[in-house]
Amino acid sequence: MNEFEWRRQLRELRAPVVPPHDLWARIDAALEPAEPARTSARPGWLLAASFAGLSLLAVGLSLRQGAVIAPQQGSTATAATQAPWKPDDPRLAGAAVELDAARLELRQALEQAPHSAGLQRLLSRTHQQQSRLRQLDQQAG
Amino acid sequence: MPPPPVAWSDADDARAAARGDRQAFQRLYRQHVDRVYGAVYRLAGYDHARAEDLTQDAFVRAWQKLADFRHESAFGTWLYRLAVNVALMDIRSRGAQPVGFVGEEDLPDPGEVPFCAAEREELERAIAKLPPRARAVLVLHDVEGWRHEEIASELDMAVGTSKAQLHRARGLLRRMLEPGEPS
Repeated sequence: MNEFEWRRQLRELRAPVVPPHDLWARIDAALEPAEPARTSARPGWLLAASFAGLSLLAVGLSLRQGAVIAPQQGSTATAATQAPWKPDDPRLAGAAVELDAARLELRQALEQAPHSAGLQRLLSRTHQQQSRLRQLDQQAG
Repeated sequence: MPPPPVAWSDADDARAAARGDRQAFQRLYRQHVDRVYGAVYRLAGYDHARAEDLTQDAFVRAWQKLADFRHESAFGTWLYRLAVNVALMDIRSRGAQPVGFVGEEDLPDPGEVPFCAAEREELERAIAKLPPRARAVLVLHDVEGWRHEEIASELDMAVGTSKAQLHRARGLLRRMLEPGEPS
């Protein structure tokens, strides 16, 4: 057998091979935690939540610097309600809109993945930020 | 008369899958699994269990990276390269010795060993017995048809080292296929 024939024999090994088992069920199950394309595409709610968090921080700092902080009025903040809430202080309006949008998007995401601890944590944090925003609004007013 | 079957293109399915459409991804799986499996099966030394794990890993990674797929090549080509890369990473992670320069004295003299006719199964068994990196170079070059430059890039080695590894792998293979040699 010459080298040419030997190489041809090797090249003939290059052929598709049918796996002994259908791997789709395994692959499909492994895709569950990955949620890849969406993760890498930066979902809107994550961006909105981040922006809202930053807005809230910036507004909070500016209110403190303006010495408009009123005495603590107790924990009047309640869990965020379903209806969009509008603050009296116009400086808080942007953060309120962003937080509400983040809350809605997180709820939609949770409908698709109701057991996602990460989403639930983010929703809880968004509720806390909304409560904090209400506090700030009361203090400013 | 039943409606004509809907024709799905890989590109359409890849775009849909990148948006999270699992049915589209399953169609891509059905379309390409045999080619992917064949490549990783050979690189994994004809070990079905490992090849199945690597194939699963390759498709999961493809799903995760679909958003980065720019459609500059065919989806099948992109997936095949990704799967080969997964198999090569597995070889590296399993502690295969880094490829160093192979001295000429360590190589069998090609003139000493004749080319032997071998049955397909015999050839596959012999390839499976090669050291993992030498096997990877031989499979990629002689079976899959890659160039040394591509192999060197994927395996993070010099082109000369890839050539030396191929020379070594061929020599070992021919020795294993010598008449009278236990396979």
